Amino acid sequence: MKTPSEDHDLIRYLDGEMSDTERASFEVRMAADPMLNSEVNMMQRMSADLRTHLPAEMPVPYADFFNSQIQMRISQEESVTLPVSRSWWFDWLRIPTLATAAAAVAIGGFMIVQNHDQPASNSIVHSIYVPNPTVRARSFHSDEAQATVLILDGVEAMPSDRQMVSFHIKRTETDQEMATTTLFGESGQVVAVVVKDSRNQPCLLSANPRG
Amino acid sequence: MPAFTAPESGEVSDSDLVKRCQEGDTRAFDVLVNRYRGKVYAMTYHMIQNETEAWDLAQEAFIKAWRAMPNFKLDSAFYTWLYRITHNVTYDWLRKKKIQGDGEFDDSHTDHRVAAGAEAVARQEPAPDTALKNAELGVRIHEAIVKLSPEHKQVILLREVEGLAYEEIAEMIPCTLGTVMSRLFYARKKLQEMLKDTYENAL
Repeated sequence: MKTPSEDHDLIRYLDGEMSDTERASFEVRMAADPMLNSEVNMMQRMSADLRTHLPAEMPVPYADFFNSQIQMRISQEESVTLPVSRSWWFDWLRIPTLATAAAAVAIGGFMIVQNHDQPASNSIVHSIYVPNPTVRARSFHSDEAQATVLILDGVEAMPSDRQMVSFHIKRTETDQEMATTTLFGESGQVVAVVVKDSRNQPCLLSANPRG
Repeated sequence: MPAFTAPESGEVSDSDLVKRCQEGDTRAFDVLVNRYRGKVYAMTYHMIQNETEAWDLAQEAFIKAWRAMPNFKLDSAFYTWLYRITHNVTYDWLRKKKIQGDGEFDDSHTDHRVAAGAEAVARQEPAPDTALKNAELGVRIHEAIVKLSPEHKQVILLREVEGLAYEEIAEMIPCTLGTVMSRLFYARKKLQEMLKDTYENAL
């Protein structure tokens, strides 16, 4: 049975971590020990194959999306440092300097909230809420297309009779006592009322997207 | 430390971009992301062998780098610093995954697929059978890597992919030189065992 020191000698030889003297001595041992020689050869070939098949650099899938998501996260974090008067999950809608959009994805459908006061090129999806943990939601903004795409991974095929609804939110009102936030559409109609549940997660209390 | 790719002539240096980032310039950070995303993604991908999770972790590494940017003193190359952050993010993820028992590091993991670009680019067009064998070997290597424990995977990738010296690996993990050597030895023995028939048949 080999000692740990002999094991270390083997890998130090393979990795070129031996001094000239140590390497010469090890090669004498290899010449006298066919099994050791065979093991060294096999490990050398394996190392070469590992380096060949595990490249140090790989193309990133959806590279532009990758970058835009990072920029979005940075923007989100920077905006958190802005002073806000109250702590409420929808307060970001009140930040006037940012064009903001939010998407709430519910089991039976989804809701998109978007502020259109700013040009689309400045649009930032600022919050995504997905109550279904098996669904992954991401957004991707393309300046070129002037469009923001919401990507939902894990959503089951929607029945053809299921209505997809999106609407624009002009303003919101928060009732601290009732712990509700009311969302108003462009013509001032109530679009939805959102309440926080016991886990502090927003859930849709009622919705009337047609006003 | 990891092979550092110096910016090409005419490109803004990493250190200049870092200084601009430290002044809050997110466009400068975007340039750094463009420059290093391929390497960061390769590292996370090799560690966890899942395209989606690797993508997310690579992003997480860049976000953490942005947050830590004000404290970066430029006392090492930007990529070396970023590399440490990436390594920590990925290793923490693997440890949590292991603790949660969500995806044991054994041969039960069968949903692997080789990412585009993960294969070696041959200098010359190989014969079809050689190309096929190469592709098969690539798949087998990825399958073997995914079965290693996080600790063994970590040292193998740091050594074979990033080419770090033992002392650099010990500093990054961190652990003693003896631990690095032991882990490398046992990681290679496990890989050798898993790939044994590949090499024996080729003899």
